[in-house]
Amino acid sequence: MKHLFLAACTVLPLMAGCSAENRRLVQNDEYGDWRGSSVRNRPSGASSGLVIFGVDKERQEREAAAAGGGSGLAVNAYLWRATLDTLAFMPLASADPFGGTIITDWYAPPASQNERFRAQAYVMGRQLRSDGVRVQVFRQVQERGQWVDAPVSAATNSEFEDKVLARARELRSQSAAR
Amino acid sequence: MRKLLLGTTAVVGAALLAPAVAVAQQAPTVRVGGYFRAYFGYTQQTGQAPTNVSMNAQNGGANDANSAVGNTNQSARLGKTDISTDAEIHVFVNGKTANGLTYGAVVEMQFDSAEGSVRGGARRAVQSKTTAAIDEMYAFIASPTLGQIRFGDEDGPFGGLMNTGWVSNFGTGGVFGDFESFVTRPTRTGTTPGGVGDNSKIVYLSPQFFGFDVGVSYAPNEGEGEDTGCLNSFASTNCDRVTAITNPQGNGRSHDMPGRRNEVQWMARWRGSLAGVGLSASVGGMHSQVIKNIDLAGNINRNLRNPEVYQAGLQATYMGFTLGGGYMFGNTNFFYIPTLRGSKDMSQIFGGLSYTAGPVSIGANMYSGQYSGSDANPRGQRRWAYSIGANYRLAPGLDLVAEYVRQEFKEPGTPQQGFTAANAAPGNDLRDRASANVFLTGVRLAF
Repeated sequence: MKHLFLAACTVLPLMAGCSAENRRLVQNDEYGDWRGSSVRNRPSGASSGLVIFGVDKERQEREAAAAGGGSGLAVNAYLWRATLDTLAFMPLASADPFGGTIITDWYAPPASQNERFRAQAYVMGRQLRSDGVRVQVFRQVQERGQWVDAPVSAATNSEFEDKVLARARELRSQSAAR
Repeated sequence: MRKLLLGTTAVVGAALLAPAVAVAQQAPTVRVGGYFRAYFGYTQQTGQAPTNVSMNAQNGGANDANSAVGNTNQSARLGKTDISTDAEIHVFVNGKTANGLTYGAVVEMQFDSAEGSVRGGARRAVQSKTTAAIDEMYAFIASPTLGQIRFGDEDGPFGGLMNTGWVSNFGTGGVFGDFESFVTRPTRTGTTPGGVGDNSKIVYLSPQFFGFDVGVSYAPNEGEGEDTGCLNSFASTNCDRVTAITNPQGNGRSHDMPGRRNEVQWMARWRGSLAGVGLSASVGGMHSQVIKNIDLAGNINRNLRNPEVYQAGLQATYMGFTLGGGYMFGNTNFFYIPTLRGSKDMSQIFGGLSYTAGPVSIGANMYSGQYSGSDANPRGQRRWAYSIGANYRLAPGLDLVAEYVRQEFKEPGTPQQGFTAANAAPGNDLRDRASANVFLTGVRLAF
């Protein structure tokens, strides 16, 4: 018994070092389930039951797949459309729905022609979640006829992200109401 | 030796807790699941007409007006039809840490804690048949690289988690299913993986390497749940930690009394596919010490054998067909009850075939085994059962079920339990064999 235990202690770290290619965590639903002498015959594992507390990630994934799956999008459709809507006031340079990137061209607000902005947005994954979108804003100011890079206030990026998320929520509630 | 042990443990700990991959931490979710099922059953069974036999004071407990006549001989007759309902409510907690560990807990509530009881339970000193109790409850921590540890009241790798060949994915599970809800003892249950029980234990389940995974568990005794288990206000025979009791060869060999100590279970499993055929094979064992005998003078000796049981199974799946079977042997009786030295060993085969096409599953399974039975009988006991069943999935989780099971046992020279020559009377079944046929149909909803 002692030898078995020692062998297990030695082998485990070695097994952990094996290449990840042929190693995987066995999921909870791959184990049998018995109640007394008889089998239980019900689904088990991490997706069992109905979520009563916390966020149901699987449902989010299902819904995102349902929302985005038909339109050929590889990213969450709500976040994608919300990002496009939010950045619509700027001219679009490129939009890749598979990579989830939206890049705008330079845009100078009519009220202040001496500065211009450009935005890059990344929509990540199929799930509708608060960290599923990243927005990066670049700013340049005109000095003696030359555009030079200038810092953007720290809050600008997160304010854009908040706007995207708010719009995504709006879109989702609209589609849910249908 | 200790240095080596501490060193390796530290390596394991470091590898387990190291933030190997950056993953988003997930707040735990709490899920509620479970099942409800209601079956109508038609039962034909032997031994259903005891006449003038002792009912052993089982009428209705101490508050029952009939308790005074409990030890007097009585007669009874059983009909054939019944409806059996059952439900369990399961609570699942699942979370994930920032370094990729998944963790959680499972608590399963069942409502069938008493096999027999008085009607209703009102004003009685006995519990109702449907009293709530805990089936399994355990916590788990799983690492993608090092596998999973489960700690609590849970089946072991040998006792249900990793067994192969017990084909039961049709009906209610055939001979491993719910027919036992309709059958009176002794023709009630088979010796299945779940019969080992979910005593409090610690379980290690490895990741899968090249299709292989292994599981090991340790349990100090057969006790489960919170408290000491002692029925008396002092150290006594029912305590979880008991190591010796008086006359265990007569009293200690059922699930109601302590039996196994320092129980170790293990199972190694391989799963893969060859030419499109899904294959699974497993081999495992259970080893434990046994409760010892202590006489009234305090002398201790061991008169039962340390249980040692092995099992091997194989299963193949192709185009909706599942074919499986296996063999189990060891020195225990049916239900893994420890046996006396010189008793017949257990030897049991099991197998089944099922076919699933869309919402329909049909199948058949069987087991047949030799056991020591009542140890005084050197010829031992034979038990066997076979079944055919089907279910139709009406909606996700909702199944309509129909099934037929026949179970038999015979122990040459030993009359059926409760029917001895001493209480021989017209209608009493003194045969040394018994059988039960159950046809059941109904609905099962898993949620």
